[in-house]
Amino acid sequence: MVSPLDPLRLEYSNALPPLQLVHQLAPAGAATFAATFVGPAGWARDPDRREGTARLVAQLLPTAAGALRRVALARRLDRIGATLTSRSSPESGEVTVWGSEADRKKLLGLLAEAVLRPRFDPDDIERIRRSLSERQLREIRQPAGRADRELLAAVFPRAHPYRSTGLGTRASLDRISRSDLIRFHRRHYVADGGLLVVTTGSRSDRVERDARRVFRGLSDRGPDPLVVPALPRRAPRNVRVHLPGRAQVEVRVGGPSITQDSPRYPAAYLANQLLGGRPLLNRLFQRVRERGGLAYGTSSHLETMRWGGFWTASAGTGPERWPTVVRMLEREIDRVRDRPVPGPELDVIRESAIGEIPLSLEETSDAHELAVDAAYHGMPADFWLTWPARLRAVRPREVREAAELAFDRNASATVVAGPLRRA
Amino acid sequence: MVRRVTARPPLRRFRLRNGLHVVLAPQPASPTASVWVWYRVGSKNEWPGVTGASHWIEHMVFEGSPRYGKGEMDRAIVRVGGSLNAFTDTDYTVYFSTVPREHLAVPLDIESDRMTRALLLDGEVERERTIIHSEREGNENWPEFRVEEELLQLGFRVHPYRWDALGSRADIERLTPQELRDYYHRFYGPRNAVLVVAGGFAPVAAERTIRGRFSRLASAGDDVTVHVREPEPHGERRAELGGPGTTPYLQVAWRGPALRDPGTPSTLVLDAVLGGAVPLFAPGFRSRGPGEHPSSRLHRALIDPGLAVRAGTSWQPREYPSLFGIYALAAPGTRLDRLEERIDSVVAGLCRAGPTPTEIEDVRARIRRGAALVYEGASHTGYRLGYFATVARPEYEDELLRALLRVRAADVRERARALFRNDARLVVRYTPTNGGVDG
Repeated sequence: MVSPLDPLRLEYSNALPPLQLVHQLAPAGAATFAATFVGPAGWARDPDRREGTARLVAQLLPTAAGALRRVALARRLDRIGATLTSRSSPESGEVTVWGSEADRKKLLGLLAEAVLRPRFDPDDIERIRRSLSERQLREIRQPAGRADRELLAAVFPRAHPYRSTGLGTRASLDRISRSDLIRFHRRHYVADGGLLVVTTGSRSDRVERDARRVFRGLSDRGPDPLVVPALPRRAPRNVRVHLPGRAQVEVRVGGPSITQDSPRYPAAYLANQLLGGRPLLNRLFQRVRERGGLAYGTSSHLETMRWGGFWTASAGTGPERWPTVVRMLEREIDRVRDRPVPGPELDVIRESAIGEIPLSLEETSDAHELAVDAAYHGMPADFWLTWPARLRAVRPREVREAAELAFDRNASATVVAGPLRRA
Repeated sequence: MVRRVTARPPLRRFRLRNGLHVVLAPQPASPTASVWVWYRVGSKNEWPGVTGASHWIEHMVFEGSPRYGKGEMDRAIVRVGGSLNAFTDTDYTVYFSTVPREHLAVPLDIESDRMTRALLLDGEVERERTIIHSEREGNENWPEFRVEEELLQLGFRVHPYRWDALGSRADIERLTPQELRDYYHRFYGPRNAVLVVAGGFAPVAAERTIRGRFSRLASAGDDVTVHVREPEPHGERRAELGGPGTTPYLQVAWRGPALRDPGTPSTLVLDAVLGGAVPLFAPGFRSRGPGEHPSSRLHRALIDPGLAVRAGTSWQPREYPSLFGIYALAAPGTRLDRLEERIDSVVAGLCRAGPTPTEIEDVRARIRRGAALVYEGASHTGYRLGYFATVARPEYEDELLRALLRVRAADVRERARALFRNDARLVVRYTPTNGGVDG
């Protein structure tokens, strides 16, 4: 019997060794196509005193490539209703193309141009440098950005790749030259450790043929292995940042967590869904918002990656209410770690998480995101098809145990940023 | 090989005796079904003292109805793997759920139960007050929100587009549970609602379910037409704001046409030439956001030379004439005067010479491709059909598309001349102060 989730099956191919090629079928009825190149190009690889390099490179790749300067590339994309975007994380840099299935070959060619032959035109470098400078200011001056930044700095040691958001400082951005960017690109947008994920209505042999044609010439040699510093044993300090003149205080509680390939991951995933991840049903929403009326937005987030992970429980609240909200967040985190999880509550959360998977089959872009995520972590081809069974196998006791591990309170910090004192 | 079929699905439309307008859009390949209820009630129907009522009702409608206790609506949808939410704007309040297709009856049952019989209990209204207050505070942290709110106050003296859908702080503090109930019972009901169902379902069975659930509701819903007309402005209006922020921010605005005005197609093309986006025909949620179009005139005039880090247009065609804005966030070190001069010069250039043939050709190509892709996904389809059915009528999309593809450079030039009048200009400038902030 064919599962309704069958389109989410991945097909791994070695057609372009050492680049890993992964094919996924587009959802039935979809008329769009998506492809993503992922390179070992995260900001963990930023050169010393040149923090911000990875983000600058990632933003420059979809800007101008090959013979196409910025305006020409933008026009070409706009005319066919397509997009070429990028993002970066501590571990990787990604470039994604999306558009009509009818333009598949053209779009895959544009993606390859962006990855293989970015122009790094001086005007573009300066423009993006300015944009990143403004983002640095936002991170410092806006309560939400500031709270996130202080939390990472509190829980991860110096030189740890998860300690920053990769924006660097004004001084480090200013030090980055065009040749730094070219060097970074050559070393990190490579086949070795790279990944190409394609979601399309076309057969995989055609995808292989097209990918071989346009990605020829990708450098094989990957970057040197990275040494990730060990986490400190002492408990991090809590942080309060008074930002006068703002209307709302942002609260964060969080710390380091488990990797995506941890055997505890399915149980930890459910623990996070229970705490603050599952929309409307989660405990933070129910208690902080629905019962307490204390915050409009409250949630938790578990980010599991290759080298480690981190978790955050967050809320935005009024200047008079933040001490209460801090206590509530901490209490709910402790409760999911220390107390037995009621079976019926877990069942509702679990079935909701399982039931939503078909929603990702509405649009190619949603299904594609799942494929990129699974492929990046080297998950089996049937990862999403068997995910419901793995979630159903998790028992309440395992959720509590995973929460104890994944939401380690001995390594967590509490951060508040905003108008802590009324003017 | 997967069939590629995205285009507007065939529609099945009918109206129940109680006035409910139903639009069914079957997409047989879709694994999901999406239910959208659009009420033609929004902040346009409020008045000073009750601003924010539509948005508050939107929150309260989730808090209980005769057959669904507090939290049960959310649980009923989410436990079958669905997602649900709602939003409020000037012209409408919208509730939507997307579920795996076999569970279509669940959201239909919920929507029928709360269309006229949401409970709006005193205790729940009071508890929600701080949440709504918190939602507003979250927005107030952003200079862009403060500027937008000031711009509305400058642009409208009498029309209810004068206030943001969140309502004023004072009204959020003051509104009583009884006032909210009165508002709800006055405006909510089948006569003011459009029900859109899109996705993988059998239309005949869906119609039967809808008739079974909704036909028994009484025909309710007062007239939601706004009869107030905003007088023509006779002079520029300006405001200077200050507060926390990153770099200086500016919006310049004029009064744009309503969705059904004859000037809307040429204004949409003008908007695309200036800011790069054609939001009404942008495919999917992946489309570039405002300010991300390097070929647009504002990008070339403000971002390329290093004056701004973000720049674009801000205009959504509404039921009544709404503000057409141009915004710019300064690059570190740029003064607001310089930004304003450049915006003036871009506008003057379009009034003088209009767009180039290449610009017109580019916009047309973008619209054609967008129109071919906009119906991917049941949720997106439900949104789109509901928007046109509520603010105009479903067929208006086709009329608008035809009109857009006929727009010539001269039409855009004439439109620019009519729109960008100096004596109708609004300017709000925001200068960050950041006193006492470290870093």
